Amino acid sequence: MANVEKKVCLPGDLVQKLPEEGVLRLGPGLETREQHVAAVKSGVAHQNKSGSLLWLEGRQKRYIPAEGDVVVGTIVDRYGETFTVDINGPLLALLPQLAFEGATRRNRPNLKSGDLVYARVAAASRDLEPQLSCVDNLGRATVMGPLKDGILVQVTSSQARALLASPPAPVLQALGASLQYEVAVGQNGRVWVCSASPRTTVLVANAISASEFLSPLQIQTLVGRLVAQIQ
Amino acid sequence: MEYVTPEGLRIDGRRPKELRRLDCSLDVLQSADGSAVFQMGNTKVLAAVFGPHEVEVRNQMKEDKAIIKCEYAMAAFSTGERRKRGKSDRRSQELSLVIKAALEQTVMVELLPRTQIDVYVQVLQADGGTRVAAINAAVLALASAGVPLRDLAAGCAAGYLEGHSLLDLNFQEDSAGGPDCSIALHPNSDRLVLLQMDSRLPMDTFEAVLNLAQDGCRAVASFMRQRLLEHTRKLAMARGAVRA
Repeated sequence: MANVEKKVCLPGDLVQKLPEEGVLRLGPGLETREQHVAAVKSGVAHQNKSGSLLWLEGRQKRYIPAEGDVVVGTIVDRYGETFTVDINGPLLALLPQLAFEGATRRNRPNLKSGDLVYARVAAASRDLEPQLSCVDNLGRATVMGPLKDGILVQVTSSQARALLASPPAPVLQALGASLQYEVAVGQNGRVWVCSASPRTTVLVANAISASEFLSPLQIQTLVGRLVAQIQ
Repeated sequence: MEYVTPEGLRIDGRRPKELRRLDCSLDVLQSADGSAVFQMGNTKVLAAVFGPHEVEVRNQMKEDKAIIKCEYAMAAFSTGERRKRGKSDRRSQELSLVIKAALEQTVMVELLPRTQIDVYVQVLQADGGTRVAAINAAVLALASAGVPLRDLAAGCAAGYLEGHSLLDLNFQEDSAGGPDCSIALHPNSDRLVLLQMDSRLPMDTFEAVLNLAQDGCRAVASFMRQRLLEHTRKLAMARGAVRA
C-alpha cells in the first residue's frame, strides 16, 4: 500500500488507490471515487500504522459534528424536555434535559439562553440535528455538565485538536507553570476559560488565541511576557 | 481600433493566447469562515464564505441538500467611472445566479442537507472577466472554509476579435462587442460547469474559442491548486503536522 502519511491534499485530489482486499475506514474529508480515495477538503492525510484508517486533518472554523466528540455549546432555547444548543455546527444540537448527572423529572438543571455546557455528541447524522449528552454510558458526568462563569474563546478545528492532545499543548503547559486556571476545550473549536481572577482569565484566553502558529519557544516567550505584565 | 497588431500583440501587450498575471491570497478576512482575493491582471475580486449554517428562511430549506446563497456586488470604486452599483441591479443579480449555479455543481451540497452556505463576492477592481474571477475567488474561499468540494473549479473567458481567438479578455476587448465566452471547468474530471456566450460565432470558430478557454481554465486551475497547496502546507507546517 502506498504510504500516504502526511500528504497534503486538496479537494478533488486522489489520495490513494482502494486496497484490493481488507477494510479501509475513511474519516472526515475523504470519499471513494471509482477505485480511489479522493479528498473533498484541503488538509493533511493521515494513516494509522496498520493502514486500516485514513483521515484528513484540515483547519476550519465551522464544526461538523461527529459522534463521540466533546463540545462546548451555548444554550439557545428550551423546547419542552430539550435544550437547543449552538455548537458552531451547521444545525443546532439537541440536549435532553434529563441527560445530566442525577437529573430527574423533578430535579433538572435550570439553564437559560446563553449558558454554556460541556457535552458529548451522542449521535450525529447528516440528516438529523446532533444529539448531545452530559453523561457517559454509566450515567456519570465525569467532566461534562454546565460551565459556570469564565469566558469563551473561538479557535480553529486544528488548534482545538492540538489543545486536546496529550502531552498537553505547549501553551497550556507554559500557562500552567505560573497560573492556576481551568479550561474546557471542545472539538468544535470553542474553548471555555475560567480562573479565580478576571485578569488571569483574560490572559489565558489571549495566550490561547494568539498561540495557534507559534513554536513552543515563542509560546514560552509570549506567556512569560503576559505573565510579567500582571504580576 | 486595432485589437491585435500585425506583430500579434494585443492592446495590453499580451499575445492572443496569453493569460493576464494571476495572483491570489487566502484567509484574508478574520470574521468569515473562509475568504480569498483573486486577481487576474487588473480585475480583483474578494470572496467571503459563511457557513454551512442553519437556513435563514424556513421555506427555502432543502431536505436533501444545502442551499447556496450568492451575492455578487461591485464596489463603487471598481470601475474607471465612479458609480454606485449595488447588489440589486440587473447585472449583479444575473451574475449572482450564474456564480451560484457553478458553485452548486462544485460544492458537495448533498453532504450538508438542511443547511445554507453564504458566498459574498465583492468586485474591488473591474477590468473584464469579473464573473470568472468571482468563481475562482469563491472556490478558493470555499476550500479555505473547509466546505466539501468535488473539485477545484476554475473559470476563464475567451473571445474572438479581428480573426483571432483571444484568451482572457480585458475590459477594452470585452467592450469591443465581439463574442465573449465565459466558462468554468472541473480540471480533474474535465467537466464544464459554466458555459456562457454573448453575441454569435460560426460553429468551427466557436470550437476553437471554447478549446482556448478550456486551456485557460486548466492554466488557472493549476495556479489555484499550487497556491492552495502552499497555503495548506504552510498552515500544516505552522502547527507541526508536516515537516518542511
